[in-house]
Amino acid sequence: MNIQQRAAQPIFNPKFECASRDEIRCFQLQELRKQVAWAYEKVDYYRQNLDAAGIEPGDIKGFEDFSKLPLTDKTALRDNYPYGLFAVPLDQIIRIHASSGTTGKPIVVGYTRQDVEEWRYCIMAMIQQAGVVPGDRAQMAFGYGMFTGGFGLHYGLEGLGCMMIPASAGNTERHLMMIEDYGTTVLVATPSYAMHICEVGEELGFDWQKSTLRVGLFGGEPCPPKLKSEIEKRMYITCTDNYGLTEVMGPGVSGECLTSRDQQHIMEDHFYWEVIDPESGAVLPEGAEGELVLTPLQKQGVPLLRYRTHDLTSVTTVPCGCGRTTARMNKVRHRSDDMLIIRGTNVYPSQIEDVLADVEGASAHYRLLVDDETGLDRLTVMLELLPFAFTDSFAEMESFRVQVADKLKGVLQVSVEVKLVEPGSIERTMGKTQHLEDKRKR
Amino acid sequence: MSVSQLSVFAENQPGRLSRLTALLEREAISIRGFAVADTGDFGIVRLIVDEPKKAQSCLQAAGFLVQANDLLCLELPDAPGFLNLVVSAMADAEISVEYGYSLVSTYVVFKVLDVAFAEQQLLKQDIRIINQSDLV
Repeated sequence: MNIQQRAAQPIFNPKFECASRDEIRCFQLQELRKQVAWAYEKVDYYRQNLDAAGIEPGDIKGFEDFSKLPLTDKTALRDNYPYGLFAVPLDQIIRIHASSGTTGKPIVVGYTRQDVEEWRYCIMAMIQQAGVVPGDRAQMAFGYGMFTGGFGLHYGLEGLGCMMIPASAGNTERHLMMIEDYGTTVLVATPSYAMHICEVGEELGFDWQKSTLRVGLFGGEPCPPKLKSEIEKRMYITCTDNYGLTEVMGPGVSGECLTSRDQQHIMEDHFYWEVIDPESGAVLPEGAEGELVLTPLQKQGVPLLRYRTHDLTSVTTVPCGCGRTTARMNKVRHRSDDMLIIRGTNVYPSQIEDVLADVEGASAHYRLLVDDETGLDRLTVMLELLPFAFTDSFAEMESFRVQVADKLKGVLQVSVEVKLVEPGSIERTMGKTQHLEDKRKR
Repeated sequence: MSVSQLSVFAENQPGRLSRLTALLEREAISIRGFAVADTGDFGIVRLIVDEPKKAQSCLQAAGFLVQANDLLCLELPDAPGFLNLVVSAMADAEISVEYGYSLVSTYVVFKVLDVAFAEQQLLKQDIRIINQSDLV
């Protein structure tokens, strides 16, 4: 069946998406065994790890054997930056993407032509279950760049036969103009930016009810149910959000269907999932909440075995009312580490700490405040000045402030507010200081 | 000549200013003039006091960020035209004023790059130049 035929039916690949659990499991095991062999043969890191654990690819006879493999954490990607985990020569890689890391160095992933195709396939299946059809006109409000969200959705939407409007992030009034002039039907955005577009539109007298827009595809940050229903009500559209992470592929790991609105179908033909106890690493029974561990099943460029997402969720394999039998995960709202997501970009407090440590005139005491009073996530870094950094000139103080903000933006890839505060005004506590206050309502 | 100004960093929050003035009151320091300016997030409180050195050390001991600067200080007769006379004379001498404010009596201060040069230029005018000891 070709893509046009698939796109024309209500479920992209019913042969797999509606298969019995046994058939799905059987397919996954077969792919997993191939994937373990691929990683073992091509990547030193996995060969050493498996050798150290006394496991050979041939030992993997069932899922229980697979779950004995060591987990892979983000540190593996960071320690092997940029190309150390690549399984193919670079001339077979046709694209790379990157996401921010904890130490200023990003993590880099590479895609072979087949990887890009598989990714496109996942996106097509995901957007189709979200109600997108060929002929939709899709406006991109994600940034393109190294972030996987922009290009990932872009090629999937094109693949399904949508007209892409590659507007990219920012310039809200221009987005509104494009929705109106180009007859946009699908908006791809972070939920907080969609809300911002909605509000700016309302202020400018934009009539959402009359607008051609009918679908919102959200990603890049967790989407609280309240925010989603608010946007649906005010923009007169249907919104779904999807889940993914750069390390395993990008967006398209899982996504909502129009039947079960609080859960996301995992693309089980491309990913094997496990839920573990984040403390002990033990695999938890179905339905228990724990940390999601993912293994991409066909990834050639950068295979990952048992990748720890640090995202907390639970998974069910109960068939869905939409007809699909693929497993569904609950929306991820919390992470097992301290990562912040600011307007879709991952930010770690440790990155901020590292930047401030290099700023002359800033004390070691800082505090982070996150809010969404303006409709968008706003990260404010409050920093205490050292006496020598204070001058009588506003211009000099302002340039110091802007300089720190620029440095932070350079590392974090997201703009932040910097606020200068009096020495001693940041509370000191014994032991682990609470650096962060998250006042976001959505 | 010239007078000493203390600039104090203050966050834009209720109570910050009173914490500072209460401290000066306790030390029996007399404020002869002040100006408060802010950028929205933080402000700079500028003070002319009778005992700048004592004020600076007690403010710093209390944790304030303080910087001392020398300012041009003049006594202007309380009659029309004298402010114009002074600023015109400074303009003629190409002295630029960063900011200025008035103190007790009819004293005014100006933040200029080179106080001594400005004073020298103003000697030609019939204007009394004030120094720190005049403020006690």
